Amino acid sequence: MSSLTESKPIGLEASLPDQTEQVIRLENISVRYRVPQERIGTFKEYAIQWLQRKIKHDSFWALKDVTLSVNKGEIFGLIGKNGAGKSTLLKLIARVLRPTQGRVRVQGRVAPLLEVGAGFHPELTGRENIYLNGAMLGFTREEMNAKFQEIVDFAELWDFIDAPLRTYSSGMWARLGFAVATDVEPDILIVDEILSVGDEAFQRKSAERIEAFRERGTTILMVSHNMSAVENMCQRAALLDQGKLIALGSARSVVDRYLEIVRWGESSRLLQEGVPDETNRWGNRLIEITRVRTLDENHVARVIFHTGQKLVVEIEYTAHQPVLSPIFGIAIHRHDGVHITGPNTAFANLDLGVVKGSGKIIYTIPNLVLLEGRYQFSVAVTNQDDTQMLDYHDRAYPFRVDNHGIDISERYGLMILNGEWRCN
Amino acid sequence: MSTKATVTYDSAQRTNPAIEELQEAFNYHHLILQLVRRDVLTRYKRSVLGIAWTLLAPLGMMLILTLVFSQIFRFNTVYGYAAFLLSGLLAWNLFSQTTTAAMANLVWGGGLLNRIYLPRTSFALAAIGTGLVNICLATIPLLLIILITDVPLTIAFVFLPVPMLLLAFFSLGVGLLISTLAVYFPDVVEMYQIVLTAWMYLTPIIYPIEVLPEPVRFLITHLNPMYHLVELYRMAVYYGRFPTWEELLPAVVISISTLIAGWWLFARKSDEFAYRI
Repeated sequence: MSSLTESKPIGLEASLPDQTEQVIRLENISVRYRVPQERIGTFKEYAIQWLQRKIKHDSFWALKDVTLSVNKGEIFGLIGKNGAGKSTLLKLIARVLRPTQGRVRVQGRVAPLLEVGAGFHPELTGRENIYLNGAMLGFTREEMNAKFQEIVDFAELWDFIDAPLRTYSSGMWARLGFAVATDVEPDILIVDEILSVGDEAFQRKSAERIEAFRERGTTILMVSHNMSAVENMCQRAALLDQGKLIALGSARSVVDRYLEIVRWGESSRLLQEGVPDETNRWGNRLIEITRVRTLDENHVARVIFHTGQKLVVEIEYTAHQPVLSPIFGIAIHRHDGVHITGPNTAFANLDLGVVKGSGKIIYTIPNLVLLEGRYQFSVAVTNQDDTQMLDYHDRAYPFRVDNHGIDISERYGLMILNGEWRCN
Repeated sequence: MSTKATVTYDSAQRTNPAIEELQEAFNYHHLILQLVRRDVLTRYKRSVLGIAWTLLAPLGMMLILTLVFSQIFRFNTVYGYAAFLLSGLLAWNLFSQTTTAAMANLVWGGGLLNRIYLPRTSFALAAIGTGLVNICLATIPLLLIILITDVPLTIAFVFLPVPMLLLAFFSLGVGLLISTLAVYFPDVVEMYQIVLTAWMYLTPIIYPIEVLPEPVRFLITHLNPMYHLVELYRMAVYYGRFPTWEELLPAVVISISTLIAGWWLFARKSDEFAYRI
C-alpha cells in the first residue's frame, strides 16, 4: 500500500482523492525535552552556573521511536493517559515542533482545532477577528470574504459581529472559534478532545459538521478520552503510553488494549485497597479472617468481572481456639451504599461443626447478575447464635463489573433479570 | 498545479533555515498585514480620540521637551529646536517601540506559536510594519511643525523613505536578536528598557552632536549605529539636503548587516523556541 503511493509521480493525479494515500507519515519519531533542573532566570546566574559547569539538564523523552501513518480521508484516533505524548505528537503534525530524531511528513493544509479562539484579540470586532484568524490559517482577505457570511451564520452571531470580542460571552467566543476553524476546509483537521462548546443545539451542529468533513474526505486526527466516541467515530487508532507507541490498528482493538491497561492498573490498585485496617475491622478475633480473594472461573484472582461470569469468594481463616459452629457471611454493596445481598452459612444451613486451625470457606456465584458498576464485599465471622462478632471486614474488598466488549442482553441499572423478548 | 495540493511539509528536507523562514514569511504576508492592521487598530481602540493619538503623542512629548530644554540648555540648532527634536524623536521611537514590540509579541504570541504553525518572524515583522505605519502618520504633525517654525522644506524630502526603511531594517535586526535572547533569558525584557534609556541619551536626539566635547563625539559617531540613522532621517526633513556617500554608506552597511545577523540567528534558533516558550 505504501510502496504504491511512494512510487507515484508527483503531479496532478496526486491531488485526486485516493483512499490509500498517506497524508501523515511519522518515521521513527523521538522528541526529547531538556528540562533544566533549576530554572535559570538571569545572565548572571547562568554565567555563574555555566562557569561552574553546574547546568544539568534532565532529559525527558516525550516520544520515543514512534512510527505511524494516517491515510487520506480517515478519522484517526489518538488515545493514551495524560502525559503519554499525545499533544506532542499533534504539535509535530501541526509543524509547531520539530522532532529531535526521525522524520515527519504531512501533505495538505492542517487546521488545529485546539482550544478554539486562541488567536482572537478582545479589542477587535468579531468581523476583524474572523479575518485575522483566517490569515493565521493561511487565507487571504479575499478568500475570507467568500467564507465570511457562512461563518457568521454558523456561529449565529449576526447582531454582534461588529462588537468587540471582549463584549462576547465565553459561549459566543467559542462558537466563533469553532466556526472559523472548521469553515476553512482544511485537508487535515486536528481535534483535541471532543467539542463541548456551546449549548446542545450547537453541539449537534458541530458534530454534523465533523461528519460532513468526513464525507468530503477530510482527514481527521482526533484526541479523546472518551473511548466510545473513539470507537464509534474512528476507523483506526494509536495508543501511546509514556511516549511509546504500544498499539496501532482498528479503533476497536486499540481501545480494547487501552482499557485492558487501565483495568490492569485499576486491579493492582483495588487489590492493594483490599486490606482492612483498624477503621473498618472489628471483632474479638477468636477466629481471624486472614485473606479474602475474588476468583474467576479459572480460579484466577481478579477484581474486574463481567455480567454472567462465575465469581468465587475465597475466605481464608485461622481459628486461635476451637469454636463451635461459627457463621461465615458476606455482604455485597454497590459503591453508593445500596445493599444488594447478605448471604451467610447459617441461612444456607451449612453447619461448620467445631472449627480449629486454618482453613478456607468458599462462596460461589455461578452466574453474576450484577450489571456494570463498582461494588464492595464485606466479610464476617460470628459465633453460633450470631451474638458475638469474631472478625468483621467492613466493605474492604472492592470489585468492578465491566461489560466492555461483551455481549450482554440487558443494560443500565443494577442487575440483569435474563428476561426473554418475544414477538407474537 | 493548485496551491492546495502542493502544501507539503517534510521535517527531513531542510534548506537553510534563514532562507526557509524568508520564504514562509512571504507566504504568510497576508497574516503579517492582518497583524499590522490589528496592532494599528487596537492600540488606541478604547480611547475617544482613537488613532489621533498616534499624532498627538509625539507632539505632546515634543512640546514638553521643547519647553524644558529650550529654557534650560538653549541648544543652538540650525533651524528651530522643536522640529529638530520632533524629527529625532520620531526616528528614535520607531526604533525603540518596534524592537520592544517585536520582543513582547514573541512572548505574547508564544502560546499561539505552540498551537499552530506560523512563521516565527511574523510577530517581529508585524511590529516593524506597525512602526512604519505610525511613523508615516506622524509625518503629518512633523510637517505641521516644520511649516510653523519656518524650517525650509526642500526636494530632499523625497529621500525620506530611505532612512525610514534603513531604520526599519536595523530595528528588525535588533528586535530579532533580543527576541532570541529573551526566549532564553526572560530578564532581557526588563533589562532592555534600561538599555534603551541609556542608548537614547547617547544618541543626539534632544541635543545636537556639536554640543559634545570632541572625544565623546568621536566615540558616538563611531560606535553608535543609531547616530547615523537618526542623522540620515533628519537630513531629509530637517537639514533639507541629500546625504553624501560617506554619510549614506555606514547607515546602509550597519542596518543591512544587523538585519542579516538578527534574521540568521533567530531562524537558526527558532526551532528550539517551541521547546522553551
